[in-house]
Amino acid sequence: MAAEQANISQGRSISGIWIIPLLALALGAYMVVHTWMTEGPEIEIAFKNASGLEQGKTKVKYRNVEMGLVESVRLNDDLDGVIATIKMEHQAIPLLVKDTQFWVVTARVGLGNISGLDTLLSGAYIQIEPGERDVGERHFVALERPPQTPAGAPGLRLKLTSENTSSVGVGDGVLYNGFRVGRIESMVFDPNDRLAHYELFIDAPYHTLVDSQSRFWDASGISLSAGADGIKLDTGSVDTILLGGVSFGLPPGISKGEPVASDTEFKLYDSYDDILKNPYRYGLYYTTSFSQSIKGLQSGAPVEYRGLPIGRVERVMLKEGLQNSIKTGTEGSGTAIPVLIYLEPGRIGLPDQPQSVEYLKKSIEKGVTLGMRASLETGNLLSGSKLISINYFKDVEPASVGELLDYTFIPSIETGLGQIEQKLNAVLDKINKLPLEDTLGEANTAIASLNATLASLNLVLESESTQELPEQLDKTLQDLQGTLKGFSPDSEVYQSIQSSLLRLNRTLGNMESLTRTLSGQPNAAILPSDPVPDPIPEVSK
Amino acid sequence: MTQVTAASKDLAACHVCCKLASSELHHCPRCGAAMHLRKRDSIQRTLALLVTACLLYIPANLYPIMITDQLGQSEGSTILGGVILLIHHGAVPVALVIFLFSVMVPIGKLLSMFYLVWTVKRHSRVTPRQRTVMYQITEFVGKWSMVDVFVVAILVALVHLGGILGIRPGIAALSFAGVVIVTMIAAESFDPRLIWDEMEEQDRGS
Repeated sequence: MAAEQANISQGRSISGIWIIPLLALALGAYMVVHTWMTEGPEIEIAFKNASGLEQGKTKVKYRNVEMGLVESVRLNDDLDGVIATIKMEHQAIPLLVKDTQFWVVTARVGLGNISGLDTLLSGAYIQIEPGERDVGERHFVALERPPQTPAGAPGLRLKLTSENTSSVGVGDGVLYNGFRVGRIESMVFDPNDRLAHYELFIDAPYHTLVDSQSRFWDASGISLSAGADGIKLDTGSVDTILLGGVSFGLPPGISKGEPVASDTEFKLYDSYDDILKNPYRYGLYYTTSFSQSIKGLQSGAPVEYRGLPIGRVERVMLKEGLQNSIKTGTEGSGTAIPVLIYLEPGRIGLPDQPQSVEYLKKSIEKGVTLGMRASLETGNLLSGSKLISINYFKDVEPASVGELLDYTFIPSIETGLGQIEQKLNAVLDKINKLPLEDTLGEANTAIASLNATLASLNLVLESESTQELPEQLDKTLQDLQGTLKGFSPDSEVYQSIQSSLLRLNRTLGNMESLTRTLSGQPNAAILPSDPVPDPIPEVSK
Repeated sequence: MTQVTAASKDLAACHVCCKLASSELHHCPRCGAAMHLRKRDSIQRTLALLVTACLLYIPANLYPIMITDQLGQSEGSTILGGVILLIHHGAVPVALVIFLFSVMVPIGKLLSMFYLVWTVKRHSRVTPRQRTVMYQITEFVGKWSMVDVFVVAILVALVHLGGILGIRPGIAALSFAGVVIVTMIAAESFDPRLIWDEMEEQDRGS
């Protein structure tokens, strides 16, 4: 039975059972590698607060597909916000670019709409709106509220600035002739420039309605005005009464402008009436200053160029002027009062665009060197209201535009009543300056000496010899009369003179014929005179 | 103490019908099953299966064993996470039971089996009786460590309220079942007679 004996050899051969742990290991390794390969990136999103964010529960969704999960929520280093660490899916990598937007979707109930009701049951989630850039990014800042317009939507995004925060709010409509063509996307009040900044989006194809001449005005609420012609009620659509809105269009009399690019800034007017009052958008601020009284010059007073309104007086910069004089150490020296004026090229027929402003700027710069000056003129003699006139003047001191209180400065000249007043003053000053005192003193002394002379004259006149003078004069005259009687026509002297004169006359007649003969023939006195032959006429050859 | 063993008489027991037959026989004369003096490659098999169990034990603890879908929000819970949650909720006895059967027992089984394999491999002669008791306990307890898997299985079957509430088994449930099954096979493939063989050889030698 030796052949059948089991060959017991405790061989140290490796059993096939080891395949099982190897299989498990391979499977585990595959899982690890697969997980690692398909593992999505970990991203961090900064939120203002963790409202709605739950660790391990809040999902990130794109088109309602789960794209990630909030792994942890912690405060940031400055303790003024939270940072959510989110584990994203592998397929979400292309979505995570530089301008990708995130926001928390919760149920929102607004006047205009209700959204996100499903989140009441499932809890809030984070929505991704992928950006368009190619640069990957892992750190994001979440939006505080959902963007009003999906990224990449066709249309036009514009900016509006408003001096007073009106009733316009985010989500409100943008209307064109009462038709809703867009919406307000965001509103920020900037304390630095004290302006409310709005961003609005005009949907395609309505964005072509906006051009460079468009005006935007607040169409919210109801405007009620009472006048001589009754009570006027202005409203937009019911929507805008309740929710507010912005309208845009062209003011009357202004032609269509150029198409505008994205992010162009416009001014938001308070009302349509406001636009009618100030239909021009482009203008320039200038300062000028006056040494004369600016009584009657009010904000809004017209600024005219040769009688044409070209702008308005913005305000009297008394405060700034004083501060400036304190700064330059000239306080108390009667510095001229600066006045801020606003010139609009559109008012004198130039197109309402920035180029016109440049043109105006250049014209004024050149004009000032040629004698252009601002002057204060009385607009209404009864009320005494004043206006500023810009005109060319001859015989002015040469000047050029300067700078005053951060604005371009137009030199001023005094004209009109002010100038007359000043000239009158100058005359009076000259009169004042005359040495009247001295003159009067001299006159006084002259009069005194005259007095003395008169006194002595009196003395002379009062003397007897002087008294006798008329009698002597009388006697002399009588003598003279006696003498003259001797020459009367009846007297002998007169007769003899008369006959002498007759004889003299006759002698003179003889003399005359003698001189005639002599002048015709000078030798007649010596030689006898020959008769002159008569002249014989001859035929001319 | 000298005992007569089957091995010393060159007899081997059939694994299937337990008939004692000559160890030189390849097949059981009664049932025809393959005959071996000891279980084949007992140590290697046990060790391999133990290693497998160890590998499976890692995902069993890291991954959620049970996923609760509640109002659209799903939440996974791991074994240890569930234990801690139960303690927080004040259910300490339940937590203790789960901890005992889901954490302590599998680890204890793995460790005791490793110890047994290691001692046999080292031809250790230390307290063979105690080691046998240890093996018996391990084999007995092995059947009961499926508690966790059963709980999950029952919950998945019972709790199914459409979109409002639902429970799904996680990867860990499968891994954990794998751990329990593989350790049971490992315990089965271990031949406790190997513990005593060393003593026999010592007796024979002395």
